[in-house]
Amino acid sequence: MFGRRRDRDRRSAAHVAQHAAAARDDHKVYSKRGRRLPGEQAVPSYTPSISARSIDGHLLRTGQEVYAWYRLAPQRWSFRSDSQRQDLIAAIAGQYAELQGRWMHLRVTTRPYPIRMWAEAHVHNAVRRLPDTPGTLSFDDYMVGEQQQLMGRSMAEKEVYLGVQVQTRNMMDRAVERAAPVLRKVFPDAVDAELVAIESEIDHLDQVIGSAGLEGRPATSEEMSWLMHRSCSLGLPAPRNLPAVPGAPWEPEDLASFTDAADFHQEPYSPTVTVRGRTGSNAGIKRHVAVLTVGLMHGLQIPEVDDPWIQRSDRLPASVEWSARIYVRRPEEVAGELQRQMSKVRSQVRHYTDEHELDPPQSLARQASRVLEIDDEMTSGFTALGTRVRSWWRLAVSGPTEREALRLAQGLLDLYKPKVAIEHPEAQYAIAREFIPGEPLSSSAYLRRGSVLWAASAVPTATAEVGDRRGILLGETVTATRRPVAWDPWMAQELRDSSGLTAMVAGLGAGKSFLGGGIVYKTLRAGAHWTLLDPSGPLAALCELPELKPYARPINLLNAQAGILNPYRVVAEPQLEHFMDEEDPERSWRRERALAAATRRRLVLDVLSGLLPYEVARLPQTRIVLLRAVRTVGGRPDAHPGQVFEALRRDASEHHEHAVVVADFLDEMRERMSLLIPEQDADPYNEARDDRLTVLTMAGLNLPKDGVGREHWTDAEALGVEMLNLAAWLTQRSIYERPKDLRKGVWIDEAFFLSEVPTGRVLMNRFARDSRKWNVRVLLSSQIPADFLKIQGFVTLLDSVFVGRLDDDSAQADALRLLKVPIGAGYEQVVASLGRRPGGVRTNLERDRAPRQFIFADGAGGVERIRIDFSGPHLEHLRNGLDTTPDALRDGAAPAEVEVSSPPQDPFAYAEQYSDEYDDELAADLEVGLADELVDSAHGEGGNRRPGREGAA
Amino acid sequence: MRVRTDDEVYRVDAVWLGPPKATFPWRARYVAWGVGIVVFLLVTAVQRQVGFGFDFINTGWGFVITIALTRFICSRISHERPLSSVLTMWVRELTAPRETTSGRGGASSAARIRISSHRPRKRPKGAKRASAATRSQHRGQQDRRQKEVRGVRTPA
Repeated sequence: MFGRRRDRDRRSAAHVAQHAAAARDDHKVYSKRGRRLPGEQAVPSYTPSISARSIDGHLLRTGQEVYAWYRLAPQRWSFRSDSQRQDLIAAIAGQYAELQGRWMHLRVTTRPYPIRMWAEAHVHNAVRRLPDTPGTLSFDDYMVGEQQQLMGRSMAEKEVYLGVQVQTRNMMDRAVERAAPVLRKVFPDAVDAELVAIESEIDHLDQVIGSAGLEGRPATSEEMSWLMHRSCSLGLPAPRNLPAVPGAPWEPEDLASFTDAADFHQEPYSPTVTVRGRTGSNAGIKRHVAVLTVGLMHGLQIPEVDDPWIQRSDRLPASVEWSARIYVRRPEEVAGELQRQMSKVRSQVRHYTDEHELDPPQSLARQASRVLEIDDEMTSGFTALGTRVRSWWRLAVSGPTEREALRLAQGLLDLYKPKVAIEHPEAQYAIAREFIPGEPLSSSAYLRRGSVLWAASAVPTATAEVGDRRGILLGETVTATRRPVAWDPWMAQELRDSSGLTAMVAGLGAGKSFLGGGIVYKTLRAGAHWTLLDPSGPLAALCELPELKPYARPINLLNAQAGILNPYRVVAEPQLEHFMDEEDPERSWRRERALAAATRRRLVLDVLSGLLPYEVARLPQTRIVLLRAVRTVGGRPDAHPGQVFEALRRDASEHHEHAVVVADFLDEMRERMSLLIPEQDADPYNEARDDRLTVLTMAGLNLPKDGVGREHWTDAEALGVEMLNLAAWLTQRSIYERPKDLRKGVWIDEAFFLSEVPTGRVLMNRFARDSRKWNVRVLLSSQIPADFLKIQGFVTLLDSVFVGRLDDDSAQADALRLLKVPIGAGYEQVVASLGRRPGGVRTNLERDRAPRQFIFADGAGGVERIRIDFSGPHLEHLRNGLDTTPDALRDGAAPAEVEVSSPPQDPFAYAEQYSDEYDDELAADLEVGLADELVDSAHGEGGNRRPGREGAA
Repeated sequence: MRVRTDDEVYRVDAVWLGPPKATFPWRARYVAWGVGIVVFLLVTAVQRQVGFGFDFINTGWGFVITIALTRFICSRISHERPLSSVLTMWVRELTAPRETTSGRGGASSAARIRISSHRPRKRPKGAKRASAATRSQHRGQQDRRQKEVRGVRTPA
């Protein structure tokens, strides 16, 4: 391959001739019985057709020089502030500046999204997955569908490598390498002496490249192999299976595995070079590669206006390979050159004015001032950001036909117009070879000079990475690159030790339910258990999907039997066996039980005072009598609010009258509170069911309108909010009924009420604390981000965030606050424009079925704009099920709600041990915020102490 | 921040307008003058070789050809593509590997390899003579048979 075919053929011809000669001599064998065999002499020597001679670890040696190769870490670019981006560029520039006097070889290649590997990881990760229901979409078919959906698109992951020249090699080094086989036996140290000598140099380079900015780490053998393969088979599809990577260094003979995979050829002055695959999965495949080079460039405003200029090529719907040769110049070299240029300009000016009495061109004056500017940049300041580079930047695109390759090349030209000129040079073959690590620069044409800051502003590592590589497929990124987004909702808890809280914020019709429903469906298939609280009810459609139906249960809480929302029961009772891994299980369990009891009391207190008319609730004595009654009843799980009413009537303190008034008020509402108070001998919590999916709906619940203050709520609205709160606690309870390690999910839609009730924060804290310990993903969705921000400390507890389209200005700013993205940097516009249809089609009668867009922060540092894509044909029934847009033309029956069956009462003993648990109890009270009221009640009249209700309203 | 290359500095158009006070009506870069001189020498040398004499007319035509050639060459080079790299790229174009369209090798044939089912072995000394006799007898028969079929094409 690579043009040296002829002499290898000659060699092999000689080889054949040698054997033929041996054959001719056969008939004389009688007389030459004792003749010595030729032995190893017959093996022809092999010289690779590329300059590389050996690869040791991340060191690549050619005949003349040694390069160290690094894999650079991807850098987030979108949704960062300009100052952060500038810092990144300056850091990279500083690193380049430290490499003065060295050549660098920057290679950007792509690794096709390993869909097969994703599927493997996903299936491996899908433990305890849903058994297939006969006649419905099986898990295998679902996985096939998911893979097919990705296969149709060109999505590749960018990999950036940087080779840095370590040292040039002298004659001795080469001689030693040549004699290595013999020398290794005689004097083994001599063979390794060359690399040992440059060890400290390499350590220095490792440290320079590894610091913040480039964040490069020495390339592994697999990565070197990949880079060599991609470069020697430039433009060919990625090999499906790479040859195994040896544990030992690559010797020259081993390099044939790279060079023999493909060969290059071209016609004179043809616009492309042809690459023909010869082995492996690429055998017989031909690709035409158009190699381009970066020409003249205007001034760019990076990062304010323009993207990093290498990143721009990611917008092309095909992968673009980059190869840049950069030489970082020493200041003295540049200074001399600048002086020469200056004198050239001066003599030209003199030539025009003095010798010919003509006006010199304006450009000369401009050039003179630029020379002075550069000189100033280089000499001023303590940073080396004025260091200069000479560089050559080449790009390559490939297509199955020459026309296709040229079309892509034209696309690149158009992408870079008008600020950057992309040139299409001749000598395509020679320039294509430059992509191979170790090859020399083929021609000095299209030399770009600039500062290290300019070179760094290319930021080749800027990516749009978000999500992980084993989770469910959500869609793809839509900013600078198109990359599939997978997200495993339990990875944060299982691997990163962070909380499992996710906020989902989007305006009406922005696709919240669709996204959430998709997440629930896909994770259910992968083995998770979900409990959904959907007050309005459309998500119950998930239970109707045939493959989920046997494992799903929709419950309309408003039709459920009495006592299902009993505040004493919605807080789960801790089980001793869940604390076995603690240091002192008994003690932790007791502490936890005290906490649960305190939580119950707090919840009952909140719910009951929330149900009272606002004027009554805000009276200090109301608080006191309620608190006392709640304390009397205690925090046992088998209590119920009816007992509190009785305790109120029995109140014997100075507020007795008021207590009776409060009890009357509450009794008045008793029939409406039937869900809170169980009937005698009918506790709905005694039946344990193992449903994978439970959807709690509260269709018909009266909820207050947005922005209406607490004091203006009607009784029904107040009751609605409290019931929603209790239902949220009920979902939380479901966590503790299942094993700790099991993947569980809770999705609370319309989660705005959490900020309206004081226990909302307690619930949030519990979620944040237990989501990691209990492996729970908590999705909270709302239309108004401010609802979440109102909950103190919520943003710090958050793990991941989805933000959909929001129209209100302040809502947009709040959403950015949730995302932890700089505010006022212009990203508000992005939130407003997410998935908006163009204005011209407002009168369109067709429905807007375009995929919805979200900004997704994955909690691991990635923030990207993504498009939700559940468009595969295998998910059609899911799409239809989640379609919440009303359509009068659609005929369909409302899904039947399943009533919760009423099992017989099974009273279980519970004795609170007040005496020895007092400390635990106090601590628990402090944790849920009951302590201040404790002090109040102990002191009798609390004066004008602010009730908790006002604090939250 | 505004980032830009330093390329402008290196794009000084060094032109020679002519001797002082005698401005030529054209502006040519120094490199064009250099190329022009080399081309003129080459053109003159070629004229001599072909057989044109050294006179005013021929030299005039030589000038015209030189100007045309120089303009052509200078249109191909620029600051982006200096003369040296254009020449390098030209060489690289010439030496790039071509697609091999003519087939090499073809179907391999084993027709020229002699095959016998037995390898020759040493024989015991006593048996040598007898075997030689039988062999000569055999050879005689063989020869006769070959003679009979010589020139006749055997049915394949």
